Amino acid sequence: MININNLNFGYSKHKPLFKNMSMRLSNGHIYGLLGKNGAGKSSLLKNLAGLVYAQSGTLDVMGFNPAKRQPALLEQICFIPEEFYLPSVKIDAYLKANAPFYKNFDHSYFTDLIKEFDIPVEQKLINMSYGQKKKVIIAFGLATQAKLVIMDEPTNGLDIPSKAQFRKIMASAMTDERCIIISTHQVRDLDNLIDTVIMLDENDVALKASVEEITAKLTFKKVKEIDDSIIYAEASLSGYNAVMPNYHQEESKLDMELLFNAILAEKIKFKPLFS
Amino acid sequence: MNNTFNINRFGLLLRRQWLDFGKIYLISLVVLLGIVVGFYSYSIPSPFKDNNFDYNGNLDMRFRYPLFLILGFVFISIVASSYFNILGQKSRAILELMTPASIFEKFLAGVVYTAIISLFSYLLIFYLTDLAFVKYLNGHLDAFKVLLPQNGAIREVETITYQVFNDEGYRKYCGYFFAFPFLITSLFLLGSVYFNRFHYIKTALSVMVFIGLASYLVVKLSIWLMEGKVANHHNFRKEDKDWVLLTILLVTSIITLIVWTITYIRLKEKEV
Repeated sequence: MININNLNFGYSKHKPLFKNMSMRLSNGHIYGLLGKNGAGKSSLLKNLAGLVYAQSGTLDVMGFNPAKRQPALLEQICFIPEEFYLPSVKIDAYLKANAPFYKNFDHSYFTDLIKEFDIPVEQKLINMSYGQKKKVIIAFGLATQAKLVIMDEPTNGLDIPSKAQFRKIMASAMTDERCIIISTHQVRDLDNLIDTVIMLDENDVALKASVEEITAKLTFKKVKEIDDSIIYAEASLSGYNAVMPNYHQEESKLDMELLFNAILAEKIKFKPLFS
Repeated sequence: MNNTFNINRFGLLLRRQWLDFGKIYLISLVVLLGIVVGFYSYSIPSPFKDNNFDYNGNLDMRFRYPLFLILGFVFISIVASSYFNILGQKSRAILELMTPASIFEKFLAGVVYTAIISLFSYLLIFYLTDLAFVKYLNGHLDAFKVLLPQNGAIREVETITYQVFNDEGYRKYCGYFFAFPFLITSLFLLGSVYFNRFHYIKTALSVMVFIGLASYLVVKLSIWLMEGKVANHHNFRKEDKDWVLLTILLVTSIITLIVWTITYIRLKEKEV
């Protein structure tokens, strides 16, 4: 679905954000995009949506060049930005003005999502809370039936029950034809939702691996003492939370926060495992 | 699917843009109406005022011409300058650029709103206000008769539209300046795409600097090329004047088209 080849991008020529980045993303997956502040998560998403232009390299999204902003591609992209704007109208008016652009727009699904999110339909969008507005654009985006769903920090501003609803809705929205990319800092919000982790660091992709592959190659567990087999460990109340190679095919649950810190701290040690 | 232009999609886009642009636009029309009515109320002849007549002995309505031109410039330039200013705000720009319509359709919607709808609505509001005040004055002509020596006759006031369309001179010259309003809207539309903040001031300043520099260069170049080489006399042939006016029409039309093209390209290149 998405092919990125030797992508070079930066907001100034002297400070590149991506250097010769290459990656391939397929449909039928929910990708979790992780990275430090300024690593380029939002910029990568904007490149995919055609909101910024690469300095060199090629980007292919469903056979289109996103930089051309062609309607045929735009109607297949649902982009939920971190900062968004909604006009001063009610949901009905917003729907009437925007839904006809998406030929596969599912009105009944939208109504279901709005009910599930408990959105007051009689209220003007501009008077809603940040969390409510976010739910409206998530519901609208999913109802477009777009094949590529891009979400930048979607759980920011959602309360605890809404985060659970969000996970449930996203899991049910996943189809074999869809590719969902979620960028977030709040990795715990995406636990059990994403199936592939993409981590950005130092102008490139530091890790791109499925959760299965990660847990097959690494094991995450609590240990009392640190030994040489441990690649990375963080002190905890009852000892250490450690990441180590999974030599004995042990089953463990992926601790995304630990993995994130481990990759950033010990990138070289992880490289041979996921090359 | 045609990715450049589709009439249905364009119609949807015009309707969608109205959702945001329309409300502010309608408010600005109300403000415009208020200003025109205010100026007319203050400036029309009144039996309680002195100097109610022009040099032809008609009721003095000459204030309409500068009012029409100045207010027209201000209104259409503000409307054009505010159309794409949302692209300067990250959150709104994302929504705008991600709307499934082609860049050409988005640009064309901008031209329709700023060059056609704004101009047409301005002309309509001015025409209707003028007509209402002219009717009112013509209904109260007797009140002015006492101001004339021996209660002389007063000619009915004509609407500005009537004056322009029934005077051969006006008709002829207005035609040559046909492209001017489009040039103004095109420049301010470009400014609204090009600048992220303070669109109006920055566009006005840029245009002033450009005109200043261009005038300076043209004058200097003309002097350098032609001084002492061309016969200098004041006996213009009559048709020479028409050439100058025709050149004005052609140059303003061409510049307008060029500025619209640049606006389209800038819109294409716009990043968030």
